[in-house]
Parts: sequence; C-alpha cells; structure tokens
Amino acid sequence: MTGLAKEDAKSKRYDRQIRIWGRDGQRRLETARVCLLGADADGAEAMKNLVLGGVASYTIVDGDEVKPWDLADNFLLDKESLGKSKAECVSRLLQEFSEEVSGKFINERPDQLIASEPGFFKDFTLVLVHGRIGHEVLVSLEKTCRSHGVKLIFGRSYGLFGMVRISAEEHDVIESKPENALLDLRVNRPWKELAEYAGKFDMESLDDMTYKHVPFVVLLLKAAELWKQGHQGALPADRQQQREFKQFVRGLQRSKGEGFVDEGDNFKEAVDNAHYLWGGSSIPSELLEYFGSSSCTPTVDSSDFWIVMAAVKAFVDNGDGALPLPGSIPDMTATTDLYLDLKRLYERKADSDVARVEANVKEILVSLALDKNRISTEYIRLFCKNTSHLKVIKYPTIEEERQSITGSKSTYLKSLLLSEDTAENAFVYILMHACDKFEEINTQQPGIFDSELEADKERLKGIVNSIMSEAGLPTIPLSEEYIHEVCRMGSGGIHSVEAVVGGILAQEAIKLITNQFVPLKGTLVYNAIRGTTLNLGM
Amino acid sequence: MVGTSAEGARRACRESKVLAVGAGGIGCELLKTLVLSGFEDITLIDMDTIEISNLNRQFLFRKKHVGQSKAEMAREAALKIAPNAKINAFHGNVKGEKFDVDFFKSFDVVLNGLDNLDARRHVNRMTLAAGVPLVESGTAGYNGQVTVHRKGETECFECQPKPVPKQYPVCTIRNTPDKPIHCIVWSKDLLFPGLFGEPTQASQENGAGEENGAGGEEKDLEISTRQPGQSARDYGATVLGEVYHDAIARLASLEDMWKERDPPKPLDSSLITAGLGKVAKASSAGGPRGAAGESASHVLGLTNSHAVWTVEESVAVFVLTIEILLEHHAAKIGMLGFDKDFDLSVDFVAAASNLRSFCYGIPQQSKFDVKGLAGNIIHAIATTNAIISGLIVLEAQKVLLKQFSDVMTTFVQHNPTRGRLLQRIPPQKPNPKCYVCSKAMVRLEIDVKKMTLGQLVDEVLCKSLAFKHPTVLVGPTMHFESGNDLEDDEVLHYGKQRKKILADLPGGPIAHNALVQVEDYSQDMSVEILVQHKVFEDEGSAEFFAVHGEVKGREEGEEGGGDEEGGDSDDDDLCVVVAEGEGAKRNDAEEGEGERESKKQKTLM
Repeated sequence: MTGLAKEDAKSKRYDRQIRIWGRDGQRRLETARVCLLGADADGAEAMKNLVLGGVASYTIVDGDEVKPWDLADNFLLDKESLGKSKAECVSRLLQEFSEEVSGKFINERPDQLIASEPGFFKDFTLVLVHGRIGHEVLVSLEKTCRSHGVKLIFGRSYGLFGMVRISAEEHDVIESKPENALLDLRVNRPWKELAEYAGKFDMESLDDMTYKHVPFVVLLLKAAELWKQGHQGALPADRQQQREFKQFVRGLQRSKGEGFVDEGDNFKEAVDNAHYLWGGSSIPSELLEYFGSSSCTPTVDSSDFWIVMAAVKAFVDNGDGALPLPGSIPDMTATTDLYLDLKRLYERKADSDVARVEANVKEILVSLALDKNRISTEYIRLFCKNTSHLKVIKYPTIEEERQSITGSKSTYLKSLLLSEDTAENAFVYILMHACDKFEEINTQQPGIFDSELEADKERLKGIVNSIMSEAGLPTIPLSEEYIHEVCRMGSGGIHSVEAVVGGILAQEAIKLITNQFVPLKGTLVYNAIRGTTLNLGM
Repeated sequence: MVGTSAEGARRACRESKVLAVGAGGIGCELLKTLVLSGFEDITLIDMDTIEISNLNRQFLFRKKHVGQSKAEMAREAALKIAPNAKINAFHGNVKGEKFDVDFFKSFDVVLNGLDNLDARRHVNRMTLAAGVPLVESGTAGYNGQVTVHRKGETECFECQPKPVPKQYPVCTIRNTPDKPIHCIVWSKDLLFPGLFGEPTQASQENGAGEENGAGGEEKDLEISTRQPGQSARDYGATVLGEVYHDAIARLASLEDMWKERDPPKPLDSSLITAGLGKVAKASSAGGPRGAAGESASHVLGLTNSHAVWTVEESVAVFVLTIEILLEHHAAKIGMLGFDKDFDLSVDFVAAASNLRSFCYGIPQQSKFDVKGLAGNIIHAIATTNAIISGLIVLEAQKVLLKQFSDVMTTFVQHNPTRGRLLQRIPPQKPNPKCYVCSKAMVRLEIDVKKMTLGQLVDEVLCKSLAFKHPTVLVGPTMHFESGNDLEDDEVLHYGKQRKKILADLPGGPIAHNALVQVEDYSQDMSVEILVQHKVFEDEGSAEFFAVHGEVKGREEGEEGGGDEEGGDSDDDDLCVVVAEGEGAKRNDAEEGEGERESKKQKTLM
C-alpha cells in the first residue's frame, strides 16, 4: 500500500474512535509503545483493548508456560498453546487483532527482568500490569518507570472487588475536554477591536431584517454599556440584578407600536447567553495554582508544557490580566456576513494572542540557551485554546499511598469510612491492602485451598484488624461478609469482573497515551457486589 | 451474589439459556464474557455483516471477515474459546417472523447489545409478551449504561420517552438552509435518492406537504434523465449544472423568499469548468479507476478525509461519483440509499452538500465531518464495551439467581474523577402512564382531515409507536390489518383503505375524539388511542402529529414533537439517543452530575 492509501485505510478502521479523540489522539496512540507485565487472562484482556485501539507496539513479559487452567479463562489461548511460552502465545494471538501492531515477547519472569535489567523499561510510553504482582516488585518497577518518565498503570481484581491505579511523577493534560464548558466570549471585558465593532452598530437606523440578525454578542455588549450607565459603571452583580438585566435586554427590543414586539431570535439568544457577562472569562483557581508552582519558573530541564505555561503566565502578567483568547464563537442568529465578521474578529485576536505567547516562549528558550524553535506554533496554539482547562496531575508513589492509610493522612480514610456513601468501598480498599499483605506473609492469596478457607479468613481478618486499629479506623458492619467474599473466590478470577477492570484499565491507559481527558487521579475501587466505584485520593 | 456459593453461580450460568441480540461492539465483548463465565447455551441474532470500521472494537472479527455475517463469525470465534458451548447463530433481523413470542419464551434471560431504537423497542415488547427478563445496554464513546427490565416489577424499556431524531423544517431543507447539516440532509435524503434510488419515506412525506401550495416554494428537483448515447460524465455535468446553477438561479429569483435573508448564488461556470478539468486530468493520467470499489475522492487523490475540499474539488468529486456509479454500479441504480459504509455515497453527499453550502454562503465541511453528521455516527471504543459486557453478565447472573433485590441500573460515566465512574440506581417501578407495559391510553393529535390511513399506519403507528403489524379498529369496524397471513384480496382492500383520509373512512371514521383500538399480535400489544383533531399551522414544520403518553396530563408530550421553543434550553438536558455502532441518532450532552434523580438520567442506546 502507498502511504496515502495506508492513511486512508487507517482512518476507516479507526473512524469511530477518531470521533472521540481526534487525529492527534489517534496519532499518539499509533506511536505508543506499551509493555504488558504478565500474560494472564486479565492482562490479555486489557492489552487487547489497546491493540484494537491501534497502539504501535506491545511487549509482553511472562516467564510461565501455558497450563491447562489458563485455557479456561484466557480467551486468547487454545489447546495448541499448552506447554508453550505464555508470553509468546499471547503475543502471537494479540497480533491477529491488527496488521499494523508490532508485537514482541520476553520469556522471562517480570520480577527477574526488573531486577536484572531496569533500563529495559526506558523506551516505553506506558507499562501496564493487570493481575497479581508482588508489592516489592511493584515498588521497584515504579521506581524504574518514574526514573525514565514512563507511565505505569496497574489493576487487579480480588474476587468481586477490583482496583485500578496510575503512577506517574506528573501527567499534564492540555485537552481535558470538559463537558459543557463555557466559552470565553469576553463580553464582560471586550478588547478594543470588539468594543469598536459593537460600537459601529447604530441600532436605531437598522432595517428590520438586519435588526433581527445583529449577533447576540453585539447585543450583549450594547446592553452592558447601557446598563453600566445606570449602575455606576458596574455590570450586574447579584442574582437579582442578573434577572433584571435579562429583563432589561428584552426591553431593548424595537416595538412595532402599541407595545407589540416582534421578538427576534437574536434577542432571545442574548437573554439566554446573558451569563457570559458574569462568567466565563476569569482565570480558574487551578490555573493560578499552576502559575504559582515552582515548575512555572522554567529551567533547562523544563518540559514544553511548563515552558508554554510560563509564557502564558507572562502574557497574563504583562497584559490586561486576561488569558489568551481561545477564539471560538458559538452558532448564533446572524446574517452570514455578520457572523463571518465576528468570527474573524475573534480569530484575529486569538492569533495575535498566540503570537504574543509564542514570542514569550522564544524569549524563555533563548534565555535558557535552548533552541528557540523547539516548540511548534501548533502546540502553542493548542495550549492557548485550552488554558482554562489545563490539568496537572501528580501521583503519589505506592509507598506514599500505603503510608497515607496508616499515617497522618488516615483522617481522610476515616472520613470515607464514616460516610454512608463511601464506607463500604473505603473498606474494600483496606481489604485489598490486607490481601497484599497476606500474600507477602504467606506467599499466596487467601482462600486458594478450600481446606484452608476458614483459617485464611481468620488470618485475613487479623491483618485487616491490625491495619484498622493501627490507623484508628472505625469498623463497618459489612466487613465480615466482604472478607468472606475475598477468601471464597481464592485465586479464581470472575471473568465479568475482570472484563470491567480490564476495560477501565485500558480506558485510563488510552487517556494517558492520547493525553486527552482527565484520567483517574487516585486509586479506583470497583465493587461488583454493589456495582459501585470509589475514587480515593481525589 | 453475596452469600451464593460459587458453585451455585456457576450452575446458574451453565444451565441457563440466554439470547444475545446483537453481535456488534457490545455483542462481541458480551459473547466472550458469557462463555468465559461458564454460559453454555447461547443464541445469537444479528442482521449485519462485518465492516472495516467495526474492527477497532469488534475483536472477534478480522479484516478477512469483512462482508460476512456477524452472528456466524462471532459464533465461530466464541467456539474457539469455548469448544463445548452450544451457540446458535442467526443472521437475520430480530423483528423477523421466526423470532416470535414462543421463541422468546424459550430463554431464561434476554441480553440486548443493539444499536437501533426500533429493534430495542421491539425486543422490549417481545420480552414483555414472553415474560422473560431483559438486560438492556448501550454505549456512546466513554459513556454507557446497563438496565434490567422485568415485567410488572420494573419499568420497561419504553416507560421513559426516548429522544427522537432531530427533524428539520421542510422549507429549510429545500429552500433556505443556513447550517451545514441542512445541506447534508438535503443531499442525503433528497438528491442522492432522487438520482440513484427510490425516494425515501422522508422525501415522500416532505413532498406531501407541497400539494397545499405553500407560497413560493420550490417544486421538486427537476433533473433531466440521461439521454441515449450521453456519456456518464457528461450526464454528471448536466446534473451539476441543473442542480447548482439552474435550480439555484430559479430559487434566487423568487424575491418574496429573500426579504429576510440573502438569496443563494448559482455556482459559477468557471468553477464548474475547473472542476471538470480535474476529472479529465485524473482519468487521463490513467489513474487506477476501474475497480468498482474505488471512490471518486480516491481517484482524484483526495485521500485526507479531514481536509475540506475546494469548490473545484467538490465539483470533480460530484461528477466523477455519478460517473462511477453509472458505469460500475449500474445494477444498483434505482435502489441505492445513503450508506455510511459505502464510500461512493459518502463522497457524493460530501461533495453535494458542500456545493450547496457554497451557494448559500454556509461554511463547508470535511468528508470526515460530513460522514459523521450524515451517518449519525456514534463514537465507539472497545474499552467501554468491555466494561458494559462485564456489567451485563453480572446483572444477568443476579437475574438468573433470582436475586432481584440486588439488580441495578448502572451508568458508566465519562469522567471518573468528577463523580463516580459507575453510577447506579435501583430499577424504577413501571410507569403507569406507559402505553407499552401499563396499557395506558395514548392521546394523539393529528389533522384528521388531511392525514391518510396509510400515513397513520406508517408514520405514527410503525415509526413513532414502533408497531410491527398493526391492526386498526374503531368500534367493531376493522379499518386496517397487516401481516404475512393476509389473503391477496385483503391486501388489495387495505391498500385502497390506506389512501383514504381518516375522517372519511367508511363505517367508523377516525375523527375528533374517536377511540381507536390498535392491536399487534406479533408483539402481543394492544393500545387504545384517543384521537384529537388538530390543524398543524406551520406548513414548513416537520411535525404533523403529536403523541402524548396519557390522556389528561399536560406536561407530557416529548415524543413526536420536539418543541423548539422549549424555554430555558432544556435541550442541553436531553440526551442523546445513541447506540453502540450504527444506526441511531443524536447529538450528545451527558452531564455527568453525581447524584441525579433517575428520571433525569439519560438513556444511551
């Protein structure tokens, strides 16, 4: 196939998802290199979803052979695989999902690989672990991933419970794609050209047709000016005034005599969008926090993200205090010409803001003796379009999180346990930690042998109790039942639960890879008994 | 499942007979999860064949399977995972005759992974008739939902009104478009079928309005037929000139119409010439054309579907598509419809709508965007389907173990940090106003002096109320019957009846306040409809009837209407009918607020 034909074939295959994360997101997926540790059913389940999505390559690390019981729960394996390398078999079968993906396997136990060759992980975009892995192994894997800037995501299920967790030093999102975000129209603080444009409309002299097609943005600007004349130069301040303002806008309409008003759609839109006068153009507190953080003072090691952040901060500090204008306007009632005029006005302002931010970026790069063309205009433009919705997420390490249960932060967990809404899943969270401890002590999962079920339950209960009393946490009535649940499942995974956990895991992995949407901020607990989730550490 | 022994759960799976409707995005995941969970007797129905755009998530299929039956390929793949399972696959429509109430009765639970509202409503009725529990599901992008329906115990799938597809006023589509979507609807529903297929229901219905002679409206598209000996390309150029120059010029000359807006501008002949030059160049360059599967944009080297074509490029795609269709798809001419998986039809609608947009000064769109709007394409990814399939099986297990108090409605939300990734609520009680499961009376507002019996049957009963084979009675008088077991003379008789105006029906006219009994034996449905006469003033309106869920209520009236004046932008609150994959409609606006009342929860499809 030629390059173009290949592109075309891909865009057909991935059509339904490109509609979610765009070509940029798809491109990032198509350059992503993912490493899967452990080729068990659940790992294969998660990896399958990423291969279907179109990742560039995967590497599967597993030192085991395929055993008869693997066939029962791993949908990729069949009789032919028996006795062969599990990593190889799963890799070969995953390859079938896509002609494009490059699949590799390492026939070695993950813990050995981590110990013997920590540098192995440095070239991956993401390392994925789904299933059982020892605490110590996970901690050292996390260390090596963090040292190479590789993101780590892991999940596992414990019978009817499951968890998913992300670990990364920092994850920066430009396109967080919030739902129902307010546009930034600047009607409450118009820049010079916008104010002048609105000023040019002499409403009195317009013919009826044009009158009904004056864009609502202009109507709002005009109404705001008039309102301010009667209110000491201030915009509507409280709900009462806001209601009055809407009435005021309605009252501005041209009367056809005898009080008859032929209400225009543009005036209706002005009333419906009046909230743009008292919202939508301020700097979000989260962003102010980022501006104030130490990362916002660039160094030679700063990422592009933070250099542009610093440039935007300089833009705000040296300008009129407003963020770069995103430049989009909504659909509205207007003649085509008026709409296009307005659209161009906003685009021109956005372009000039991008240019100013870009100048700041270059200045910063030069001052750091870096290549001043390092950051593309497209990147800066994307950044400027999204400044109101930027997200910076820092994840605690596994050790930090563990300590937070018993350490000083246990008040957080305590509050979760005391709230009816969250108590059960907060307990599940503790229970999963207890299971990990159980495995460390006993080198196997609780309930794996039916004969030891009762004994294991007592042992697990002992661990749970010691964690909880150490941290001074209250017990919840359901705890016995949940302990029983975990033990009775033993090592037998429940496929429907694995499907849910594997789906969530892959979904969050895609958010990390595409750098879009906001991924989980802490640990997600899934409770299949209740059908609920809890996101801890938000 | 707390308290149930693991063995009990396994046995319930092993010994149950389940019906899975749909082998698409959800269906593939579901089938895998079912067999791995130990289900051994599974019946699968799907009418679709495999498309390239399925492969990003329907993991039981490979590229080499494109064109084959989804149900059968899914069965084969599932048998590889679980060689001992008994899997029956049906490649057919779930509305087909063989899937009658007795068929549904033979299952312990029915699991829906469907992509269109009509089939979902039908399965809802069949499971109600058969008394079999239904686990319903839907996904759209990162969002999804699973609901459980049991006759008499929970609400049925139709207890809450479902959003209907957006309708556009006829005159906007025909004469005064001002948004890209108006031009796309025109190209897809009027021009394309006008040229290559039978006019669709929509265009016929739109045509019906014209007899009333609404002032100054443009008549049907006047397109000449291909002359003997005329080359396909030449004919394409003729059509282009007629549609974008002559017809637009004629329309622009109707001064009354352009008092409040700018008239459209006929397509300049220099642009047409330039576009035709591109066609000539591409074919003289000996491009790879000839293969029947190749699209015009390909031949012209326009492979980036995200780029917006120039007007000349649209001209070239338009003419070349006509040429390719006439030369290589001659057998299908006369029965083609827009199909988002048929690239030539996507090319055509992209070019045709952009040319129309150009004439009207409306911004033009990329082929990718046109395809999304024209095909009502729903976002779809593997991960959400995997999550949903797990949840379906968990709910199905509770149903099979009769743990009804644990059964839940679950919503998968887009943004896990904002609230909870999974939002669940207990199932709602049946809605006493539901005409499907509570046999409540329906109030119907129609113009009984204009509507024909045929329109009542097609548009109201079948399309809006989802009947399959309705029988229409007023008192003892049988006005209409349908179904496969009618005698020839009955078919003839009812064919004549269809053309009659409701108020003029002999024996028992359907006039103001008439009580109409509608029965459908295939769905075991019976509904009383109170007809109220109403004149629909706005000739340009797409609505010509309104269905209300119950007789007295004033606040109802969501279906069939779509009150555009609905005050404080309630539209944002209306979701999205959306289905995994293909076929369904709608723009989305999930809100993702934490704890909402169930009534406010939106149904995804």
